[in-house]
Amino acid sequence: MAYRSSFLILCSSLMLVCVFAANEAPGTKNQELASVVFRPEAGKFPDLEKAHTYQGELVFVDHANRRGSIRVRAGSDVLYRNAPHPFAMLPYGVVRYHGATADLRDIPLGTMLHVSAFLPPDPKISAVPIVQNPSVEHPAENHVLLLEDEASYCLRKSKVWKLKEVELQKNHGMVIATLEPKDGGDGTAAEQKMTIDTATRIWRGRECLGIADLIAEGTWTAAGKKSLGGQAVRLGLTWLPAGTWENRVENQFHITDIWLEDTALQRSAQQQTGVHQALIRTRWMAAWVDAVEYGKFGRATVTATLFGDYDATLFADLAAGSKMMMNGAENTLKHAGGAYGPAHMAAKGSILEVTRVPGVAPMGSSGVQVRFETDLIIEGIRPGRVVHVRPSSWTNVAVPREEYLGDGSKLEDRFPSPAIFPKY
Amino acid sequence: MRLCLSCFSLALCLGASLLAIAAEEPFRPEQGKFPPLDKSVAYRGELVFVDHATRRGSLRVEFKSEFFRSPPTPFAMLPYGMVRYHGAPADLRDIPIGTIMNIRAFLPPDPKNSSVVTTPNHWYPLPLENHAILIEDEPSLCLREGKTWKLKEVDLQNNQGIVLATRDSQDAAAAKGPEEKLTIDSTTRFWRGRENLSLADLVAEGTWPASGKKSLGGQSVLLGLIWKPCPDGIFVRYHISDVWLDDKATQRAIQSQTEVHKSLIRSRWMPAFVDKVEYGKFGRATATVTLFGGMDPSLYADFKKDGYTGAINGAENTLKHAGGSYGPAHMASQGTILEVIKTPGVAPMGSSGIQVRFETDLIIEGIRPGRVVRIRPSDWPKVYIPREEFLGEGAKIEDRFPRPDIFPVYR
Repeated sequence: MAYRSSFLILCSSLMLVCVFAANEAPGTKNQELASVVFRPEAGKFPDLEKAHTYQGELVFVDHANRRGSIRVRAGSDVLYRNAPHPFAMLPYGVVRYHGATADLRDIPLGTMLHVSAFLPPDPKISAVPIVQNPSVEHPAENHVLLLEDEASYCLRKSKVWKLKEVELQKNHGMVIATLEPKDGGDGTAAEQKMTIDTATRIWRGRECLGIADLIAEGTWTAAGKKSLGGQAVRLGLTWLPAGTWENRVENQFHITDIWLEDTALQRSAQQQTGVHQALIRTRWMAAWVDAVEYGKFGRATVTATLFGDYDATLFADLAAGSKMMMNGAENTLKHAGGAYGPAHMAAKGSILEVTRVPGVAPMGSSGVQVRFETDLIIEGIRPGRVVHVRPSSWTNVAVPREEYLGDGSKLEDRFPSPAIFPKY
Repeated sequence: MRLCLSCFSLALCLGASLLAIAAEEPFRPEQGKFPPLDKSVAYRGELVFVDHATRRGSLRVEFKSEFFRSPPTPFAMLPYGMVRYHGAPADLRDIPIGTIMNIRAFLPPDPKNSSVVTTPNHWYPLPLENHAILIEDEPSLCLREGKTWKLKEVDLQNNQGIVLATRDSQDAAAAKGPEEKLTIDSTTRFWRGRENLSLADLVAEGTWPASGKKSLGGQSVLLGLIWKPCPDGIFVRYHISDVWLDDKATQRAIQSQTEVHKSLIRSRWMPAFVDKVEYGKFGRATATVTLFGGMDPSLYADFKKDGYTGAINGAENTLKHAGGSYGPAHMASQGTILEVIKTPGVAPMGSSGIQVRFETDLIIEGIRPGRVVRIRPSDWPKVYIPREEFLGEGAKIEDRFPRPDIFPVYR
């Protein structure tokens, strides 16, 4: 009888496993809510609060396809063994670096990043491998809504690192610091040990200093410990191998940059904003098509919502009555055509209206809608599809070969295969 | 007799033909030897893609035509191939995507095992020499060749503009370089001493004009270059990402990159070629290795003779460690440095010209003449290395010989 009961329990368990297997493994976050597996839908911006969050080291970047790999921080001292975990940016996914909007190509390999991600919206055409057996270091949520470095994360969350103590030996050493709210903090934040060395950049106003400069000034001591009195700073972090089986250290980060004051970080943010503005002016702003009203002989009126986090000056270039172009694009944001420049094949027309949707726009959306009329609608401009938009005042240039599809005859161009990622 | 003569004539003709074919055989580097730099092909382009764990990537190779259409062309670093950035030794992971790089490359030493395509098929005349012995950014090239950029004039409008400049040799007798037009904008970083300035700072100081032209009097600087798509049918015009205004600023950039690379090599070990192995009894052996070149001298100085201990581990041509899941030291041959020899004359590119004789009581597989190894003196920090930088159990051939099919094919 006992054997029979065990057999029934085993069968029931197997059936439950089969139900999950048929629908792909639930995500790391979704394990908690196994009955509600959330996936973003085309044409809708998902709620950031529903994203699974994790942190890791950027290990690989394929910027042309907006994907890469992260070594996810998990456990205590096993970061080195965590194989790179592939991720793809959602079409409206936001990258932030030094407190400003960025592209994946702007982020140096090795940078520690904060990730807010979802399950693949459409697993069949995912550009990265689907995770069958999710774990903390390989979460199933690998389609990213927000990817940001430490400085950007701290700015968004209004947090600062408070430096407690530094101990130096031969130009390298250890910093003890706590991550706390910028205003206040109850003193309960856990202390973290991070390494520092002569390659660490220390930003003060318009100066880029090294440890040696601070020692020469007498701010830091050449050897031994010094209290830093809880000095509030922003940090850039990376991970360097440390420790062995015999000499274990926990997941210990290395400080690449210290911004000693707000002015210094504002200068970095301004520089990065300029880099991204220049990129967008040549690659165009990405948007979602909300609606298409077809007229006669190819005429149509298109309503599109621009993706978020562009610098305000870029939106300002779109004005009712002025000329604009719209080109088809893929979920990777690659232009559908571009061999003669994307403007060659794009739909041309006039901006009828620019509206700001009331309320706070969700992450990924700008909250700015544009209505545009063209006398020759092209394929690719359909509700739910991604497009690129360019006000005619922007300089007309060609885009590099890897950033447009070509003749589109190869399926791989539109839906990049996840096969490029090594299996460990 | 006539038959013998005919056979002799035939053999003579065949021999002559083989000699002619041998004479036309293109040069390929050989395993275990450093090839002469003058047999390499030089070209430059924009770094578009990097797979640093397998020491390969893609460059948009410069052509004086529709540069934007030039497809990313894969390259692989030779095991002893050197990367230089900001005038200092570097790893591919240190180079930002978009940087204009100067490359010296050869045909693949062994096309069958190449990790990049050996015959790029495109209507652009892409170089077949895609195995790099040297890849360096603009300041590194200028410092190595004793050149500087001389700024002639700037013309600014709305925080962007054009700089006229020439890249000249510091040797006054050498011919002047051609005048080039380069773009500049508000994102360009100006390094002066320990300051990081912007165009707006120079305008505020009155050094540069807010708008219009100004002569810069041939000011001598180093430049970092990138490429941005240009309007008006101009296909190749580089953009200035960085300007080092003085020697102090340059030295600070060199020092910073040198420290980054020293830290990397100390944790990943010094790569080397095995020159020979003298086998003893019961697994004992003495290996002679030549350390690869281009590192900071302080790293070579850490190899000391007379009783200094160390370890040698097998590695691949990608420089991946053969084993490492418990740290590379776990499986490596431990032993003693017997001798450190500076080979006479100027070392060829890729070689340090330093040989180390190392004795171990347990020689491991992978330490064989012509093979690549990694060696460390015992006072370097003993650490784990990241998963993608060692082979694992080595059961997958792909781990040892990465396939070129991660690179998209553009027609």
